[in-house]
Amino acid sequence: MNKKVLALVLAIVMMLSFAACGGNGGDTTTAAGDTTAAGETTAAEDATAEAGESDLAYIQNKGEMVIGYTLFAPMNYEDDNGELTGFETEFAKAVCKELGVTPKFQLIVWDSKETELKSKSIDCIWNGMTINDDLEKNLSISTPYMANKQVLIVKKENADKYLKAEDMKNANIVAEKGSAGERTAQTNEFFAGANYTAVEDQQTALMEVFGNKADGCVVDYVLSIGMIGEGTSYEDLVVVDSLAFEPEQYGIAFRKGSDVTAKVNEAITKLVESGELQKIAEKYKLAEQIIAK
Amino acid sequence: MSFSTVNSELFIGFFENVKLFGITLLFALPLGLIIAFGSMSKFSPVKLLTRGFVWIIRGTPLMLQLFVVFYVPGLLFDIRFPGSNPRMTAAAIAFVINYACYFSEIYRGGIESIPKGQYEAGQVLGMTKTQVFFKVILLQVIKRIVPPMSNEFMTLIKDTSLARVIAVADIIMVAGKFSARGIIWPLFYTALFFLVFCGLMTVIFGRIEKRLDYFKA
Repeated sequence: MNKKVLALVLAIVMMLSFAACGGNGGDTTTAAGDTTAAGETTAAEDATAEAGESDLAYIQNKGEMVIGYTLFAPMNYEDDNGELTGFETEFAKAVCKELGVTPKFQLIVWDSKETELKSKSIDCIWNGMTINDDLEKNLSISTPYMANKQVLIVKKENADKYLKAEDMKNANIVAEKGSAGERTAQTNEFFAGANYTAVEDQQTALMEVFGNKADGCVVDYVLSIGMIGEGTSYEDLVVVDSLAFEPEQYGIAFRKGSDVTAKVNEAITKLVESGELQKIAEKYKLAEQIIAK
Repeated sequence: MSFSTVNSELFIGFFENVKLFGITLLFALPLGLIIAFGSMSKFSPVKLLTRGFVWIIRGTPLMLQLFVVFYVPGLLFDIRFPGSNPRMTAAAIAFVINYACYFSEIYRGGIESIPKGQYEAGQVLGMTKTQVFFKVILLQVIKRIVPPMSNEFMTLIKDTSLARVIAVADIIMVAGKFSARGIIWPLFYTALFFLVFCGLMTVIFGRIEKRLDYFKA
């Protein structure tokens, strides 16, 4: 009898605790819901923020523009002394000089770039960012300043092996998840016969080809200039020259509705007119890719 | 890229891991004890609330908690995360809360494993409840929780590299910088740092267990 009472009490306690847990769980989901909802409102508010303190005023008051970047030669990378350098680094410094603010470079995780921007941890994304519809809808993007394309990278000895769509039959192709390269590998007819695997980032994609885990990877042309060839771990990787996919353009991203974008566009025009942008691009062998006017 | 440059950069990165490890232990160890008392409380609202909290923290990914701590203030309230090193501060807050919850369960297990007779013996000697806990129970608890704690400590030093999701420049992130330049061996070399650190901890924990061996609980 006693045991039955005990069992009953235990059952009630368990139910209660589950109910309590359920209550807590409910709270959490609501909180999460609030987060996204509020995230959107923040974005919406940003769009209309000009009435209050504008984004430009916010940055000018701070006196610094926090530039979110990832390391990616030749755009942003560290030289042998550990100093940050690269095309985008010098470009950003030149633009900040025009705006009269100090650039502060903040290394970020690429997957979190939009969150970083919206939560004001950074003020812009400036890192060879390919402009696409989603980004244009959710962020404010500068005028395109550089052209790029996706290319197929293979081992040197296979350079002549993958030229036609038929050559790709059963070939193992990798690309960075969520990248333009992935889109190419998944949707371009050229890769229809290939087996596609998504990998963490572009470095991993190169590593897969280098380590014979994959036959080829689809990456960014601008990136491949700095990462393969002499002096790197990927000396025997080459770009298949006859192939070019998805011509694309690079832009700088700001918070949605930000008035900084227009100011930066003006500064870019000035740098093009003075020839400074071209000079920086030449230094990194990117002069042919510049499209800003 | 010379070996010594890579080494010194990786050391700077690993210092971030060790810093996060130290801060987490400093605050999570005492906080865990408080949470343990909460989840053992005879006052059921406190108990349920504490256990619900522990459930949420243990039931969601640490990576997500890092995101929440660092980004949500900015997203919801339009404020930048304060402090001179906001990323490290956010990581430390997330880690302290997360590990305190895990520690609390270890403490609770340790405390509840002490036989009732030990409390009764203390009472017979005329000790107050607090005296019984600190003079009779605690040392026995510590002895019992050393092995599970050593597990948590080792998990912690490796978990610290998770802070790179909010861009804390830890050793793995530093190694990633080299990969970005096409040099991949530093990434694998970082294993040695963790191995040496965990080796040291194994030795230290072995010593602690030996020193606590003078009484059989």
